[in-house]
Amino acid sequence: MTDTILEVKNLVKHFRQRKRLLAPRADTEIIPAVDDISFYLRAGETLGLVGESGCGKTTAGKTILKLLPATAGQILFNGEDITHLERRQFRPYRRHMQMIFQDLDAALNPKMRIRDVLQEAVKVHSPQLSSAAVKVRVGELLDLVNLKQNKLVQFPAELSGGEKRRVGIARTLAVEPKLIIADEPTSALDVSIQAQVINLMRALQNRLGLSYLFISHDLQLVELISHKVAVMYLGQIVEMGVTQQIARAPRHPYTRILWSSLVNKRTLETTAPVVAGNWGVYDFERPAAGCRFASRCPIFVAKGKPSACTDPATAPQLKGVAEGHQVRCHFPLKA
Amino acid sequence: MSASSGPLLLQIRDLRTYFYSQAKQAFVRAVDGVDLAVFKGSTLGIVGESGSGKSITMLSSIGLVTSAPGVITGSVIFQDGDKPVNLLGGLPDYVYLEITDGRIMAVHKQQPQWMTRVRQNLKPYRGNNIAMIFQNPKAAMHPYQTIGAQIMEAIQLHTDIKDKVAARQMALNWLDRVQMDSPRLRFDNHPHGLSGGMCQRAMIAMALAAQPSLLIADEPTTGLDATIQSKIVDLLLELRQDLGITTILISHDISVIKRLSDDVAVMYGGRVMETGPAALVLDERNEQRHPYTHALLASTPRRANANAQGYLPAIKGEVCDNINIPAGCRFLSRCHAINDRVRDRCRRMEPELTVVAPGHQVRCWLRQEDG
Amino acid sequence: MLFRQFQVEISESNQLSWWRTAGRKNKIYVIYGLAVVLAVLVSYGLGALHWLPHDPDDMNFDSLMAGPFTGGYLLGTDFMGRDLLTRLILGTQAYFLPGLMAIAIALVLGAVLGVSAGYRGGRVDTVVVYCNNLIDSFPRLILVLLVIAAFKPDIYYIMAVVGVTAAPLVASLVKGKVLFLRQKNFIESAIALGIPARVIIIKHILWYNCRALLLIQATLGMAEAILIETSLSYLGFGVQEPIPSWGNMVQAGANYLLQGNFWPSTAPALAILFTVLGFHLLGDGLNDILERQQ
Repeated sequence: MTDTILEVKNLVKHFRQRKRLLAPRADTEIIPAVDDISFYLRAGETLGLVGESGCGKTTAGKTILKLLPATAGQILFNGEDITHLERRQFRPYRRHMQMIFQDLDAALNPKMRIRDVLQEAVKVHSPQLSSAAVKVRVGELLDLVNLKQNKLVQFPAELSGGEKRRVGIARTLAVEPKLIIADEPTSALDVSIQAQVINLMRALQNRLGLSYLFISHDLQLVELISHKVAVMYLGQIVEMGVTQQIARAPRHPYTRILWSSLVNKRTLETTAPVVAGNWGVYDFERPAAGCRFASRCPIFVAKGKPSACTDPATAPQLKGVAEGHQVRCHFPLKA
Repeated sequence: MSASSGPLLLQIRDLRTYFYSQAKQAFVRAVDGVDLAVFKGSTLGIVGESGSGKSITMLSSIGLVTSAPGVITGSVIFQDGDKPVNLLGGLPDYVYLEITDGRIMAVHKQQPQWMTRVRQNLKPYRGNNIAMIFQNPKAAMHPYQTIGAQIMEAIQLHTDIKDKVAARQMALNWLDRVQMDSPRLRFDNHPHGLSGGMCQRAMIAMALAAQPSLLIADEPTTGLDATIQSKIVDLLLELRQDLGITTILISHDISVIKRLSDDVAVMYGGRVMETGPAALVLDERNEQRHPYTHALLASTPRRANANAQGYLPAIKGEVCDNINIPAGCRFLSRCHAINDRVRDRCRRMEPELTVVAPGHQVRCWLRQEDG
Repeated sequence: MLFRQFQVEISESNQLSWWRTAGRKNKIYVIYGLAVVLAVLVSYGLGALHWLPHDPDDMNFDSLMAGPFTGGYLLGTDFMGRDLLTRLILGTQAYFLPGLMAIAIALVLGAVLGVSAGYRGGRVDTVVVYCNNLIDSFPRLILVLLVIAAFKPDIYYIMAVVGVTAAPLVASLVKGKVLFLRQKNFIESAIALGIPARVIIIKHILWYNCRALLLIQATLGMAEAILIETSLSYLGFGVQEPIPSWGNMVQAGANYLLQGNFWPSTAPALAILFTVLGFHLLGDGLNDILERQQ
């Protein structure tokens, strides 16, 4: 019995894009959406995966659930290698690992009543259940997510955003998962509903012992809910560690910028203005050699553009700077 | 900053915008009696969740809601120099209500006359005195024209500069002003060739190029990455200080409102629940605030707001649905602060905005002293 | 204040009843269309059971080309004195079963192609798009005539062609639905839940989300089948005299049009008009009601 529920080793996911319509297969460009990420998640814990749009955090989540085929690397669930399992072989594992999608409507067939949605989810992995038992289970699920019974006869279009999210969570819980990958579960919700959903997720974790991989762009939200945080930048993890360390003393310049750019944080403490720099989008066709963050990095400029940062041979690797705290930078900031 | 004082630039009185929902066979009261005042040179922030009517209020005010039946009543007084003008003047004449047993059964709008009237009322002001920037700059800009050409067009249309060379120079100045990097290169870019943040900058340049006296910014930072968001907010802050332009800022993000606004209006269910200087309305220690504002701030997912177990003080219930509007207070079903002294009144009657401090008004029975 | 006094009407039921929320225009369309479908079904049944007012081949030379309501003939007689009503009822035999076959081919082929194009994308998608363009740019009647020339003028061959040529359109519509669900991440989330692919395709995509669309296409397909059959019979390639078809009835009557006997050709022409119109309006009404709900 191992304590680690999910372990990802050197996961790589490349997208191929043909340059032209009907171009030969060789003439494709490779987009490294996820480029060599490794982390592990303990049972009952939450790992926050933070980054800006396009950094590959959602792709990472979908690759782990095998919704997208991995290009390279290993995914271990409860110590078992699930990377190369066939679709059919993998199906039994799906009841243990579930995903909450950012899109509120993702879990809901627009033409199905809520009752049918939940009953189907209950029956997927336990087809032997009698219809009475299924009904009981659906009732339990509604209680778990604090939804009223009268919502069962409604269609998804008749629900509010918060209710849709609750149904979505109930559907993932129907199969009694151990691991839930939550992709921006609150970003499509109203401010006053976000707190409800966050509380619900925490309560479910305490009650059912769930593990979350919590994907979000909101650093403060991740700080609130996660035990550990991994910060992603252009397909790579640039900093990973225990939440308190990342929140109080970020060591990678990118994490520091993410923190300092939080609008309301800056009203409280007037820090120096955010460092200037080229804020362009990463050019996948001509990847920057060496450190990917160099073109936006204030330290890179301050240090006189050292070649160690731009030389592909000496690209920075994740290395420990404190216990349980890793940073991908040649010149980590002082704690 | 002079909050809640000085001459008014825009005053909205009892604005009501109703839509008829075919699917639900009922009226959606998107804006249900809104009063707002914007002072010259200040920034008014309108906070609210989806369905609070914050965007529809502003769209109605400048005649961008034209679908049936759209705006029904109210007045929007815009101060054009010394002359007050009602932007909605005459519009209610073209709406007819079908009433049976005291219930509105249908609203008919004479669409052609309505449209003509809107155009007459707003032609001198829209774009010229009143400019607007939207949430999705790529959708709001012309996709087949370069951003430079679009800014030049705005300049030639709305300012005295008619000469092409001068307009081009002016447009470049504006791009420089909004801190677009390498404006000369970006001048010939199409909107889709720019990143979201850059596009928002171009949009701001275009809006400001007409030198408006009022800028309406509808969720200017939503959908942008955190690092870009803070730069856009910085830019808006800087431009406001330099140009002294009057701004109405619509956002669901309280932190953005907090940084940019002098005055704040909190909207809920098509109504203004609280309005006043930002320092009073968004002050966490102010006991006189509306329970909704208080709960909204306290429930923002932040470590600082959570208790020892990590739970947030969430607002119960769902967002007001604008169709089944209760007779009493709209926030009643979600209110945590209610007590026995006011419970009866909360159920029976909707409270009026009450002054609790100079310039600070709250729509809550708890904040009314008598009885 | 004016508005304070009024309670805005609140809907009693929050169930989205498609019939309740349908517009009056669409209700009329659907009712008329359903009446036409019923009439066609009854006619087909009567014809199949031979419960007819007259013998279709019984010639009454005493009343050639009689007007309606004369001598026991409700709709009059044709140029050989045969009862028009009987022949009109029997005329449904000419297109009903072949039409159903065409619809079945179009729907099954279209659904299979559409789902694979939307679900898998790639080659199948390209093929469907090209087929659609190809068929759109080629008059269907010519294609049908080519088939007749190559094989034989059998109505089932013709309807097979109609079905196959209608399939790409159905496929592109089904593909659109699949892409819509894809874009909403619905399919991905169903896979993540562990629902097998065939259940997703058959239950979720085809049954729940495409049934309205397929029903609508079926009604439009029937209209198309009727037009093709009657056109061919009119031209003499389809159903041959003395077996009645609305097309050959129009043709036979047309010879006497110049003599002022317009009724024997007008009656079947009106039958074609009202039937085809009925199917089109039914499809149109259902489309507005079922598909534009959201």
